[in-house]
Amino acid sequence: MGFLRIQDLSKRFGKVLAVDGLNLEIREGEFFTLLGPSGCGKTTTLRMVGGLERPDAGEIYLGERCLVSHAQGVFVKPERRDMGMVFQSYALWPHMTVFENVSYPLKLRRVKGPVVRERTRAALELVGLGGLEERPATALSGGQQQRVALARALVFSPRILLLDEPLSNLDARLREEMRRELKALQRRVGVTVLFVTHDQMEALSLSDRIGIMNRGRLEQVGAPEEVYYRPATPFARDFLGKVFALTGKIVAADDDGFDVELKDLAAPPVCVRASRPVLENTWTTGKEVMVAIRPEQITLSCSVADGKRNVLAVTLQASQFLGDRYEYTVAVGSESRVLTTPASQPLKPGQKIYLELDPEAITLWPMG
Amino acid sequence: MSDTPTTVVAIRSRLSLPQLHWGLVLMFLLIGSLGFYIVYPLILILINSFNVATIADPPVYGLQAWRDAFNEPGIWQSLWNSIKIGVILQVIALPLGIFISWLLARTNIFFAAGFELFFWVSFMMPTIATTFGWMLLLDPNTGLVNTSIRQIPLLRNLSFDIYSFWGIIWAHLVSNGISTQVMLMTPAFRRMDSSLEEASRMSGASTWKTMLRITVPMMTPIIIVVLLLSVIRIFSSFEIELLLGVPWGFYVYSTKIVDLARQEPPLVNQAAALGSIILLFLAAFIPLQRRLITRRQFTTVTGQFKPKIIDLGVWRYPATLFVGLIVFLLGVVPILSVLGGSFMTRFGFFHLPKTWTLEYWKMALSDPRLAMALENTLIVAVIAALVGAFLFSLIAYVIVRTKLPGRAWLDSICWLPSAIPGVLSGLGLLWLFLGTAVFRPFYGTIFLLVIAYILGGVTLSTQILKANFVQLGSELEEASRMSGAGFWRTYFGIVLPLMAQTIVMIGVIKFMFAAQHASSIILLATSETRTLILLALDQVASGHREVASITVVFIMTLTLGVALIARSFGLKVGIRAE
Repeated sequence: MGFLRIQDLSKRFGKVLAVDGLNLEIREGEFFTLLGPSGCGKTTTLRMVGGLERPDAGEIYLGERCLVSHAQGVFVKPERRDMGMVFQSYALWPHMTVFENVSYPLKLRRVKGPVVRERTRAALELVGLGGLEERPATALSGGQQQRVALARALVFSPRILLLDEPLSNLDARLREEMRRELKALQRRVGVTVLFVTHDQMEALSLSDRIGIMNRGRLEQVGAPEEVYYRPATPFARDFLGKVFALTGKIVAADDDGFDVELKDLAAPPVCVRASRPVLENTWTTGKEVMVAIRPEQITLSCSVADGKRNVLAVTLQASQFLGDRYEYTVAVGSESRVLTTPASQPLKPGQKIYLELDPEAITLWPMG
Repeated sequence: MSDTPTTVVAIRSRLSLPQLHWGLVLMFLLIGSLGFYIVYPLILILINSFNVATIADPPVYGLQAWRDAFNEPGIWQSLWNSIKIGVILQVIALPLGIFISWLLARTNIFFAAGFELFFWVSFMMPTIATTFGWMLLLDPNTGLVNTSIRQIPLLRNLSFDIYSFWGIIWAHLVSNGISTQVMLMTPAFRRMDSSLEEASRMSGASTWKTMLRITVPMMTPIIIVVLLLSVIRIFSSFEIELLLGVPWGFYVYSTKIVDLARQEPPLVNQAAALGSIILLFLAAFIPLQRRLITRRQFTTVTGQFKPKIIDLGVWRYPATLFVGLIVFLLGVVPILSVLGGSFMTRFGFFHLPKTWTLEYWKMALSDPRLAMALENTLIVAVIAALVGAFLFSLIAYVIVRTKLPGRAWLDSICWLPSAIPGVLSGLGLLWLFLGTAVFRPFYGTIFLLVIAYILGGVTLSTQILKANFVQLGSELEEASRMSGAGFWRTYFGIVLPLMAQTIVMIGVIKFMFAAQHASSIILLATSETRTLILLALDQVASGHREVASITVVFIMTLTLGVALIARSFGLKVGIRAE
């Protein structure tokens, strides 16, 4: 049974259904990320877990304890939930020093003076800010403020840590650095984390599991690799990364997979093999499908052995050097597609190249 | 034949020298006129406190006025009374103001927007209207509230006399004491990032604790500003003390000055000595006030503005009731009371055979004194609004946009009136016009009142306009100059149209100011130049309450009515704490 359980959670703002019957279980010690575009309901969900919003329906349990239940009329106030939270704006109180900010939760819990000092210092050491106790909170840099907010959320050993896009206000370099530190910190402390972001990179790199949200609903829940390579819905597929997509028609089906004849390509018709998706057993010959694959799973080569399957011959239209990689524009049939490969082989425009698609990496989608 | 006709564009080139010259003339005129009307009268007060001759006679210098002032206990008493009222008022009003602002801006009480409008109405309502409305209710003998209480068996001996120290405090609270603070603080509370409060909740603090330990401490800078502004205003209050204190011999600083100056023979020199004491005291406050207002508030606002409000739970109902009651006492009761007073045979006497009557309205409308006062008020207010709007926009523009020497001086002069009580500037102008032979013919004309009212809001008007000019960005004007327009062409063609809304707003504020404030003109007006507010004060003093309430209705219409019309056109008339 999950450590944090969310059941049939719904929240409406006026006419907008922000969260629509959400069900989710988060395991103890897990780094769980809610990922989705802005307005998908992920922050609202997080705020309902924290008690900052009241759901219109549904229940939330932390362990055995019911935090909110619309049906039973239970609502535990945020201050009684014992959760740490880091806000997007950090929400450091400008009239307090770093020490006062971080020790505030302890003082509210009536922890004794010496213990407060010790634990506050330990929390600040944990985030690498030892020695800055007496600074005014707002006199710190963005990255440091972020760490103070983190220390404040962790200082009272909360049962769960809620992070609301905490990295989005940092510049790109600092963000990468904080991302690594956040992950290391979570491993060390072992706290359960519910993280909200719209950034796929953050979600993929930090999480044990990701829940992809769209329009108030969970589209897919799974480990980063799983949701990335085997997206369950078109939204998950398009939101998580670039997609190289082609259209075609199923010409043969067996237990292991399908043969798909691609449309819009020069004669003779090209056929690719795709592994059978787990769920789709009803597809038969003649069905129009979309053939999707992550661009980085396409192997580019200048020549190919005869008779090799899953190979497309295309013409290179343009190439751009981007430092660590090349970006190629290729003509697939009548359309242009962009592919990137690690910087290895400079290819010339006009050249014929071959794209090899791994059957295991291909996903098939119904058209329309 | 092959010649292509070349057009020679003649550009009228202007030498920079004459332009600088005209700029200097403009600056000289502005500093000269403002200095003459603002600084010089104040200097006259200081000088004449050492003058023992009466106002129109050749001066004889001596220390008699100061000696008299120090020996006369009434003068010290009046100063003490002013301070006492100011302090006690703030002790009550500040916590109330903070609490109400918090409720309005940060919590989910019902009708928050409607309540805020009523606080605005209360703020806009002339002091005389609120005070007079409550006088009708709390008069110890005839007040409706007191007579009603007497009907209740056990409370027979209970009554609240508005003609008392606490009556004065009450009148301050219901007129502007609370509403000013709510007006100033509510927007500041609203701009606070709500995640700062949420972070406190997540840390384990309740709503109430969060308010006390996070929200209010974060608002300290604005609260201090509001408090200091209120302290500086202590000596400006006039109408309430005149109506409620003078009848039982209770004087504050401003009413004492008027009393001294109006005695027969007038003790203007003693008034000047008393005025000088305050001038010296306030001189220390003006730079402080300037710093407070111009200083930027610290970072309570983050980019992540979230209008998330606090759920009060069951407290939502009592809180709504509480604010509703305050709003009722501040905004609704006085209006009803004043209107009722004008239509009742005797106010509060519901059992009279003829309770309601139009008699007083008929009387008042056919009374030439009311017509004259209305005419005077309109003339004075309209001229003050037009001249003020134009003059201050010009001053603000010169300060913000030009590089002319003397801008700092001009700016400083504009700050001076901010702390000078109306009575003092009136007294200064009185010396200026009566004490200088050349100007004596102007005494008794409406011109004096116009001057007094124009000067009344210099600081506020220039501050608002300056802020707007800064926001406007100078490129628009520079583009006009690059296109070949001169200073005045740019000013009238580009600046004024762009600033039209703000300038109209300044005009509206000036108009309302002129229609309701008595303190700056009470020493300058004569029976021919009496305005509505002075007429109303005279009518109340002579006991004609029902007629006075009609005059007050006119004042209310001219101020609140104009403010409401302006508001409906989208003009943000009022005060903001920025």
